[in-house]
Amino acid sequence: MRKWILFFTSERNQKIIVPFLAVMLGFLVGALVMLFSGYNPVEAYLALLKGAGLLGNIKRFGDTLLSMTTLTLTGLSVAFAFRTGLFNIGAAGQMLMGGFVAVYVGVTLSLPWVVHMLLAVFAAVLTGALWAFLPGLLKAKFKIHEVVTTIMMNWIAYWSVYYLVPTYIPGHFNTESIPIKPTATLRVEWLTQLFHGSYVNIGLFFALAAVVIIWWVMEKTVFGYELKAVGFNGQAAKYAGMKVSRNIILSMMIAGGLAGLAGAVFYLGYTDNIKIGVLPSQGFDGIAVALLGLNNPFGVALAAFLFGFMNAGKLFMQSATAVPNELVPIINAIIIFFAAIYLMIKIWLQKIGKRFSEGGGDE
Amino acid sequence: MKKIFTSVLLVLVMVISVVAAGCSSKESSSQKDSKETSPAKESVKVGMVTDSGTIDDKSFNQGTWEGILKYKNEKKTIEEKYLQPSGEQHTDYVNAVNDLVDSGYKIIVTPGFKFETAINEAASNHKDTTFILIDGMTHKGDFKFVKHDNVVSVFFKENESAFLAGVAAALSTNTGKLGFIGGMEIPPVQRFGWGYQAGVKYANEKFGTKAEIVDYLYQGSFNDTAAGQTLAAGMYNKGVDIIFHAAGSVGIGVFNEAKQRAEKGQKVYVIGVDVDQFETGKISSGKSVTLTSAMKRIDVAAYDYIDAKLKGKFPGGEIITLSLAENGVGLPENNPNLSEDTIKKIAEVKKEILEKKITVPSTKEELAAFKK
Repeated sequence: MRKWILFFTSERNQKIIVPFLAVMLGFLVGALVMLFSGYNPVEAYLALLKGAGLLGNIKRFGDTLLSMTTLTLTGLSVAFAFRTGLFNIGAAGQMLMGGFVAVYVGVTLSLPWVVHMLLAVFAAVLTGALWAFLPGLLKAKFKIHEVVTTIMMNWIAYWSVYYLVPTYIPGHFNTESIPIKPTATLRVEWLTQLFHGSYVNIGLFFALAAVVIIWWVMEKTVFGYELKAVGFNGQAAKYAGMKVSRNIILSMMIAGGLAGLAGAVFYLGYTDNIKIGVLPSQGFDGIAVALLGLNNPFGVALAAFLFGFMNAGKLFMQSATAVPNELVPIINAIIIFFAAIYLMIKIWLQKIGKRFSEGGGDE
Repeated sequence: MKKIFTSVLLVLVMVISVVAAGCSSKESSSQKDSKETSPAKESVKVGMVTDSGTIDDKSFNQGTWEGILKYKNEKKTIEEKYLQPSGEQHTDYVNAVNDLVDSGYKIIVTPGFKFETAINEAASNHKDTTFILIDGMTHKGDFKFVKHDNVVSVFFKENESAFLAGVAAALSTNTGKLGFIGGMEIPPVQRFGWGYQAGVKYANEKFGTKAEIVDYLYQGSFNDTAAGQTLAAGMYNKGVDIIFHAAGSVGIGVFNEAKQRAEKGQKVYVIGVDVDQFETGKISSGKSVTLTSAMKRIDVAAYDYIDAKLKGKFPGGEIITLSLAENGVGLPENNPNLSEDTIKKIAEVKKEILEKKITVPSTKEELAAFKK
């Protein structure tokens, strides 16, 4: 028992234990909420698992991975910015602009499959990076807070797409673009078949590759170290001879590029066209994903899986049981809440740990 | 020190009791279920997936849902549930339909053209499920109708009810200035707008009114209530006294603005859309700012085709257009804000449409020709 508690409270293991605890507490409080409002939590959670394909339905599991794909990338975008001292609320706008350009390339060019698709994806990454360049520049040169500028850039993206889609790539209705050519799609036959018709696509591999690359850049390269140093203490970094302005702009652009990639995998994989009047919610969910993943790339992937699983399963939970759909966002919010009070949980664990390592309180 | 330890213990006890309670409540709820379902064991599960906006949008979603609820309350042979999908993409809709089908829903009602491709895919995957597609027809994305024997596609002649609303507006305005606020520029909303324009024009010619639509715009969404209010305020400030909205929840903003002004004694009105929005426009004095409503009987469509299915007369594979003649569109029966004279004149116009003396324009080109 004591060993067990010591394991849970040790400093080393907390990176894993705190998010895990946050999730468990979130589900527990969610169960309490259901219980008090007269629903059966066991039945509901079983339906949630079943709906997300974790009880064996391959198509539904594919949908979980599909939902995870976009969230991994937006989460990575926000997490990367966080690690370099920036708060990127603009992932939604960067994703939307990236997605628009990807669809534009996908609609207008005629190229063979792999080339066309890669070009569209690349264009999206570039656009996302450019969309984040301006907030980065304003932050670096004029100390204008990126929270304000990225939110504004979200709305500029929203209304730009609103204008650009009906003007340049109008579909049958003015509210959406024409579908991309089949040569630009990220969906591949063998994956669709493997997952029994789910739209899960090679965007998933892009997302996983991005996780590894970002981890490598941040943890193993001098460049990544400099970016983090600037975020940690700009003055000190400057004193140490680092180019602070350049690094802020680059951090923002990398974050934007990741969000742009999210746009590509969403609009070329999840859907096959772009609709106007929608700011993708995945951009904002990315903040929660980053928070829960403790801004670690692998943590982000795990958190995105959790959110993807809840996204894929929540409607089935609602349709198979009497539990209202609103409960899933409540559980989500509770999990994020517990992740956000990370420090508090950490201090609790430390206190408990200290008591036990001192040898008292074991009666 | 001990205190904290006991509190941790307490929490643990609570957790265990919760789990235990969860298990026991499972039993009791399953008992309850069996009790509830046994008398109406033949009840058919009818599901609905919402379009953009919420179930209480006071127009499209709500209309559909009310049709289903009405059927349930009258016949007590169905069990109902709606799902609000997590997004508005094809994939979101297909997944939401799948969730309903996998939970045993046999009839699925979906309002809005956005469902066209999703229902096309779902209908071929789930041949045993019946789909009622309101305001759309099944196709693969190329707008060539694909016939499915388990789908009925229902359209409306929105332009006809909007035509009558236009006549009503022209006859009722004091300032001679009218406004129109659409949601997104999609065919049903456009038809509302075209019919409205034609109606105003017709009234000016036939009844000598001098009404003019001075503001005609699309807000761009169906859910931005605040923007609807801002737009309405701008129009009313200009002297517009009647605004026709075909904009879902954006229209709620229009109503809010009109109600605020009406409370202060200003004479401004709103023409509702899709359902009779008289109640929506009520102010504290008991009066309403709703002049009338250009209705589209979505509820009737949902009701009728559920009924048709259960009676074995389902018109599967057909495209049906409901018009004034079938009572599928029109103005409400009671319009307390319209004068006797106006009501009489509207009845005349309605008769002429039914007798085909007037052809209400249903496209941009027809409207241009009508206006000449």
